[in-house]
Amino acid sequence: MGPDLAVFATLLVDTLAYWWVIIPATLLGIVVGAIPGFSAANTIIILLPMTLSMEPATGMIFMVALYTASRLGAGIPAILVNVPGTAGAAATPLDGYPMAVAGRGQQALAISFTASVAAGLITTVVALLMISWLSRVVFYLHSVEMIVVMLFGISLIATISAEDTIKGLIAGLFGLMIGYIGADVVYEAPRGTFGFLELYDKVPLIPALVGLFAISEAFVVIERHSILSEQGVKLQQQGGWGPTFEGIRDTIRHWREVIWTSLLGLVIGVIPGAGAAIASFVAYQQSRILSKTPELYGSGHVPGLIAPESANNGVTSGTLIPLLIIGVPGGATAAIMAVVLEYHGINFGPDLFQSQPMIAYGSFTAMLITYVLLGLMILPLTRYFARVMVVPTLYMAPILIAFTLVGSFVPRAYVFDMGVAIVFGVIGYIARRTGYHVAAILIGVILGPLLENYFLRALRIAEGDLWVLFSSGIGNTLWALLLLSLLLPGLKRRFFQWRSGGSSN
Amino acid sequence: MNQDRQPKARNILPDCIIPALALGFTVYYLTTITEVPWTSQASAVFVSSLLLLAILAYVVRSVWRVRRGQEVLRLRGSFEQLLGPMPTSARRIALLVLVVAYVAVIDRLGFTLTTFGFVFAAILLLSSRAYWKKALAVALGCALTGYIVFVYFFHTRFPTGPVEDWLKGLF
Repeated sequence: MGPDLAVFATLLVDTLAYWWVIIPATLLGIVVGAIPGFSAANTIIILLPMTLSMEPATGMIFMVALYTASRLGAGIPAILVNVPGTAGAAATPLDGYPMAVAGRGQQALAISFTASVAAGLITTVVALLMISWLSRVVFYLHSVEMIVVMLFGISLIATISAEDTIKGLIAGLFGLMIGYIGADVVYEAPRGTFGFLELYDKVPLIPALVGLFAISEAFVVIERHSILSEQGVKLQQQGGWGPTFEGIRDTIRHWREVIWTSLLGLVIGVIPGAGAAIASFVAYQQSRILSKTPELYGSGHVPGLIAPESANNGVTSGTLIPLLIIGVPGGATAAIMAVVLEYHGINFGPDLFQSQPMIAYGSFTAMLITYVLLGLMILPLTRYFARVMVVPTLYMAPILIAFTLVGSFVPRAYVFDMGVAIVFGVIGYIARRTGYHVAAILIGVILGPLLENYFLRALRIAEGDLWVLFSSGIGNTLWALLLLSLLLPGLKRRFFQWRSGGSSN
Repeated sequence: MNQDRQPKARNILPDCIIPALALGFTVYYLTTITEVPWTSQASAVFVSSLLLLAILAYVVRSVWRVRRGQEVLRLRGSFEQLLGPMPTSARRIALLVLVVAYVAVIDRLGFTLTTFGFVFAAILLLSSRAYWKKALAVALGCALTGYIVFVYFFHTRFPTGPVEDWLKGLF
């Protein structure tokens, strides 16, 4: 199904003719990605009257460019102010924010952008070349396999808890319990909702993210004049383009990390219902496990920033594959794209690549062009974005609270969700002040409902037989890999201790 | 010797808030799933059991450390430990009151007016009255930028009020 080189080149040139759509969509995507609550999906919904009036190919290219840019934009606030723009960037602050606090915000942004652009380009090309093979992934990964994929992400809680395992586990498991609030997908029975109808549809994710990261952070930083540490202020004042080039060099030096984490993101992106959040958590966790210096993760370590950013941008092209091949959207944005295309009477499936190549292949070439444009447009801006860090907290904290709170209102238009953000803000503040990791709580809140959905479906299909969890070959392989990834750090440590003991003897 | 060791012992009362919240919520959650089929209970019961085990481990560890004098459990100083020393703690509480007020009135007064009021009051709270001109400029800038970008251009679903209605009539 993949195009030959001549067809690909023609498509690329044809897509370039849509520059007038791609450039504004890219700029808009960066902005909406950077503001919590303003996801690409929400923005496309707001702009539906416009996209529906466009030619199908033009509309699709507009949506793809906006979606791609928003994924990259979400990393900006995650690094600079510890507030992920979307759930997909929730693992980015783990190492991005400590870099920014230390005055290396410009370098961190350059790393994030270079890794995102490289990952986007790699995975888009791979998706184009292997589209028919990747589309089969959808048929092999069912509820049972997805449960194990989720557990790969959840095992990150144990990593985050490295400093104080018991506290980390309490935070992560508390998050999972919060994630279980709402009516269950099979029986519709309300659980733990405190009688609020607004919680029947699970705990809203954006208010949880806003509260745990933005509100709590704003309350913590008001005792300091600046977000930056003393050392960070000095480093930040040096300015210049040096940190940007250093960030690019850092990413190039870790090219293997970029490739494998982006491909991991691509495969996870292909699975409907999975998404950037799972991909970035799994990538971060696996990157740490395979690293020779796992103890540096969480302290502003370059691979700890590259892994989630590469993975969540790898998801972008993967999401389109099930949509275009079998008409099953891989996520919320892809679902809206499906609505727009169906409005124009376009049928999905392998025939789409013959009948509408500008839509099928054009979506990927538009993605390629968007990533190239993003690289050219956004890398020079790192120096100026990083200046946000020098804004005194007496201005930063109120602005951060006001805009993120109202951002938590946007997805469902409930004032109730702003209240939810305050509650999570208070929990997040207490957690930060008392040594519990807010990221561990968030991982639970994000992955808890997903894990439960797949678990319930698996049990429903197997009529309540728990052995269904070990009933598939792929699932069992994934279980073995999960077990190995959990045991590997300990085994590695033992091995090195044994080797150093042997050499000293 | 006890006197030498006491100042070094860390007060862990504030650290107990999250486990207490988690425990309270878990017990409440379990009471809400007694009537649902077991498949719907299974994963929550499994996770809540793990959580209760983790809390138990935390309690055991804390008791052991308290008995060894490494940690203490006392109310005195807990407030400062959690909210910071004065005047930071007072500012934090006042800021929380402002945030709650912001959410309480935004549905009636709308995004523009409420954001202006909140940002202005919060900057004054975190600085001093001498900053009123800067606070006014920043608050006005935030409210107007927010209105122009999100409400006027993108028609984003922000809470609307008298200012939005008045401006809608003008443009």
